[in-house]
Amino acid sequence: MTYVELKNVTKRYGSVEVISNLSLGIEEGSFTALLGPSGCGKSTMLRMIAGLEEITEGTCSIAGSDVTNTPPAQRGVAMVFQNYALYPHLTVRQNIAFSMSLARVPKATQNERVDSVARMLQLGELLERRPAQLSGGQRQRVAIGRALVRDPRVFLFDEPLSNLDAALRSAMRVELAKLHQDVKTTMIYVTHDQVEAMTLADKIVVLDRGEISQVGTPLELYNQPANRFVASFIGSPAMNFFGAQLQSVENGVTSMTLPGGHVASVRTRSGKAPSGNLEVGIRPEHLKIVNAGDKSASFNGTISIVERLGNSTILYVDTAAGPLIIEGEGSLDAKSGETVGLMMDSKHTHLFGADAQAV
Amino acid sequence: MSAATTSTSNMAGTRRGFDLGGALLTLLTIVAAAVWFFPLFWGISTSLKTDSETVKPGLNLLPESATLDGYLFVINNSNLPIWYLNSTITSVAVTVIAVFMAACAGYAISQLRFPGRTLLWYIILASFMVPGSALIVNHFIIIAGVKQLNTHLGIILPMLLHPVTVIVYKQFFDNLPREFREAAVMDGANEFQLLFRVFLPMNWGVTTALAIITFIGAWNSFLWPFLAAQNERMMTVTVGITAVQDTFGVAYARVLAGAVLAGLPVALAYILFQKRVTQAITLSAGIKG
Repeated sequence: MTYVELKNVTKRYGSVEVISNLSLGIEEGSFTALLGPSGCGKSTMLRMIAGLEEITEGTCSIAGSDVTNTPPAQRGVAMVFQNYALYPHLTVRQNIAFSMSLARVPKATQNERVDSVARMLQLGELLERRPAQLSGGQRQRVAIGRALVRDPRVFLFDEPLSNLDAALRSAMRVELAKLHQDVKTTMIYVTHDQVEAMTLADKIVVLDRGEISQVGTPLELYNQPANRFVASFIGSPAMNFFGAQLQSVENGVTSMTLPGGHVASVRTRSGKAPSGNLEVGIRPEHLKIVNAGDKSASFNGTISIVERLGNSTILYVDTAAGPLIIEGEGSLDAKSGETVGLMMDSKHTHLFGADAQAV
Repeated sequence: MSAATTSTSNMAGTRRGFDLGGALLTLLTIVAAAVWFFPLFWGISTSLKTDSETVKPGLNLLPESATLDGYLFVINNSNLPIWYLNSTITSVAVTVIAVFMAACAGYAISQLRFPGRTLLWYIILASFMVPGSALIVNHFIIIAGVKQLNTHLGIILPMLLHPVTVIVYKQFFDNLPREFREAAVMDGANEFQLLFRVFLPMNWGVTTALAIITFIGAWNSFLWPFLAAQNERMMTVTVGITAVQDTFGVAYARVLAGAVLAGLPVALAYILFQKRVTQAITLSAGIKG
């Protein structure tokens, strides 16, 4: 059931349109990530749901009621900001209880609810400290506590982990996932980090220049990107792209000549015949190293750089299609300067038409 | 061992030579400080002398036998306690009201969007360029017109014009990250709660600093209280000590004892809140250019 709904929403700052006629439905209890590069409008979307930005055109509704013109505090949403926005002059307890204090909730009730949230977020020992005396992770937990205590219908997170170091970010991801399992409240999470989106969300909305590029589960986006933008944005190392010359299309199988002269056949996802220029996309783990000159090789090339990451090895290979990235096993035997063949896994090869849409 | 020796000789080699420019600057600073301090020292020293010693020929830097006669005479034979009270009432009122109004105005101009906001801001900026003394005749006519001469209210009202305080507050509020405002709005705060429960308490230092310089300015002000308070019992300390001078003629020790007493609260404020006063001057220095 759709719980948060944006209908034909447009946002303009003067003559600059940052979101154009966007519609999106978010299910109750889901964890939805708004993912995209800087300036794609994801934070603006979140702020419009929060009520911190006016909607130029269109409507926003939560739990079936139109909240387009409702003040932020009355929407039943709580927001966790990127820089936490903890009030520096208040203790952790006072920060968490601030909304209740404004609403003149009796002190005993305030303390009871703060203590309950503090237990859930393991903040018990920090309640009398001020934000300056806390680490980044602790501040983040306090910010979540401040949102949690309001018992909101929807949680909004605006890049909440971007100020943390890699180890802490990873730990906080787990805590957020647990929190969602515990409270089961609808969560909308803005991030430009695909790892956060892929690991936390059960639905990802990929945004590009104010428009929705694709909506789907993390694996749908990874395995079946709807267009070149999603294909290039999701996945690390990024997908390899190169042009190819269309030969024929028969029974949904596209044959094409690759740079270097080899011919490859790929089953198109939609079954539709592509036309015009073709672009091939293949993820680094779907290119396999074979002997140079091997019949199965789609390309031959020279390894320029070898990166050993322990659990995997990343190779940069110069080919007729340009430099390609290959991800192999950690124990892969490869040396820079070596000439190798590359075999494409045709089941995981993506084709994009002239309009950059997947075919 | 040889490495250590080399390191030491390198350090000796890079040691700076005598900094003549720095020494001259230091000397100049010391001379300037002495020139600035001497009248103050001379005033305090003279206030502790006997009347006969004050007119004694020659340079007597320190009193031969220090006495508080000058102070006792001023306290016992003038309206100094009343002037002190008047100064306290007017300065405290001016400080509280002016800082409160400036905080509200600075907040409104910085954070709220309303028609005429920019015009209001320019008016405040423009008013900052008009010296207070240029408006004094207008103030006198208005205050006389509403029959408030020789009243505390009459002294206080024209002294509430403090555009620089509004400007400092606006800049302070402009520089706060917008997330604080948004977090408080999400928490259900209205504009007054935002100002008094979030923005001002986040940095009381700014308010304290502005309050101290406003208080010092109000206590030290002379021209307007001199015009507005013609009745001796409504005078402030700064105005009252001119009456002391008239009364005691050339009794320098008494006159200077009155001056020292008049300046005492301000001196104490400087000593106690030195850091805040410096902060306030720094805050407003950028504006004064």
